[in-house]
Amino acid sequence: MSIPLVPELLRKHLADLAESDLRIDGRGRFESREISLEVGILPRAEGSARVQMGNTIVLAGVKFQLMTPYPDRPNQGGLMCSAEVRPVAGRSWEPGPPSPQSIELGRVVDRGIRESGCIDVDELCIIPGERAWQVILDVFAISDDGNLFDAFALAGIAALRSAIVPAERFEIGEDYPLPVSKTPTMCSYHRVGGRYVLDASKKEELGGDERIHITLGDDGHVHSLQKGLKGIFTTDEFEEIMEHAIERCSELRDLVNNAIEK
Amino acid sequence: MGGYGDVQMIDDKGLRMDGRKPSECRPIEIETGVVPVADGSARVRWGLNDVIAAVYGPMEAHPRKIQRQDRAVLDVRYNMAPFSTTDRIRPGFNRRSREISKVTAEALESVVMLELYPRSKIRVEIEVLCAEAGTRCAGITAASAALAHAGIPMTDLVVSVASGKVNGVVVCDLNKEEDNYGEADLPMGILPNSGELVFLQMDGDLSQEDFKIAWDYNMEAASHIHEIMARALKGGDA
Repeated sequence: MSIPLVPELLRKHLADLAESDLRIDGRGRFESREISLEVGILPRAEGSARVQMGNTIVLAGVKFQLMTPYPDRPNQGGLMCSAEVRPVAGRSWEPGPPSPQSIELGRVVDRGIRESGCIDVDELCIIPGERAWQVILDVFAISDDGNLFDAFALAGIAALRSAIVPAERFEIGEDYPLPVSKTPTMCSYHRVGGRYVLDASKKEELGGDERIHITLGDDGHVHSLQKGLKGIFTTDEFEEIMEHAIERCSELRDLVNNAIEK
Repeated sequence: MGGYGDVQMIDDKGLRMDGRKPSECRPIEIETGVVPVADGSARVRWGLNDVIAAVYGPMEAHPRKIQRQDRAVLDVRYNMAPFSTTDRIRPGFNRRSREISKVTAEALESVVMLELYPRSKIRVEIEVLCAEAGTRCAGITAASAALAHAGIPMTDLVVSVASGKVNGVVVCDLNKEEDNYGEADLPMGILPNSGELVFLQMDGDLSQEDFKIAWDYNMEAASHIHEIMARALKGGDA
């Protein structure tokens, strides 16, 4: 990533705004940009979703492959999440091997989905020790205007929820919907102008400090946490955003449920 | 070209499997502004193909060793998203995408007025989100629309289309089955205003007569696609 030129001026501006509890685009502290979520938008993927939050746009696609189960887990299939931020998504994303930022993105999204246990890898086994399904979730950024984390997580779980196992194509029975027992959702908070805000835009990311990502399951259980970038936070600050995340993650879950039922 | 003569792809009425006449293109839609953070962008939906192109720049070219004193450098990347095909594509460059990136760059360099921006760089990013034969043509077409949408001066647009041959019949704009089992494929990059060419590839087997028909089909299709592109650029959201 190239070195951003504006941060110091932007930082000061964001701090001035924060003093009056304002944000650069007029939103409230815990107000998200409007989210649109569509599923079934990629004809070649077995499950897919598109998420738009302001000018941030991402896609997620699910593909299936046959695998030989690992010798130490003969009764299990596999789940793999991979995030790619290619240079199409913004001026600051440069070509070349995956940057540490995009690897972190993929791994945090992966942990939220994996650790929630929403996909039972035992159910992916076809013949123990011989054949199993490998589910591959690819999340892909089209346009990065900040908070790719939440967009990726939302598109990812929606794509999985909409996925159909292509058994017919592999000549092992009839197609069936991929069983997904939970709907983990992620909320990200960035420190901007000294306090945490929800769903930071690109400008807020550039002129902000550390960020915290929280993934919660259906019952409010915590499945993944990540603190990123340089910064110090207190227990009180964390408690405040966790309290907010419980409410927000459940709203995001309703959004996924509505998109799937449509 | 698979060249499986036994796959019947033209019926007794001379129509193709998807009901098209030999000279007919798949439906094409072009839209601009699909990558809001880019300086210019376009999406081409062409049959099941769904391809986006984003343009960034002109911007400073770095490292300095890539700078050209007399012109801008055009940095073009063609890539297929992992979920764009039936079998997942592993992320990262491969020989096919490298070659397509190279020929696409050379086609666009022929029309972009690079000499106006010495020492700078223009990035063109082509991403195939869903593939159904003819993605390189859709990519070049999307890239030229995105460059125009970014307001970068060009001597002409570039419209790209392929014709080929299936079951001994020359057909325009091959679909997936025709591409897989057909006998030839002739993609061209055409400047719609002058009728000149900036991109040409071919593989398969075409007689001189069939080759001329395929060439003419491409020329006719190019002016049809140009109309759609011009409409998108004029009436778009830009």
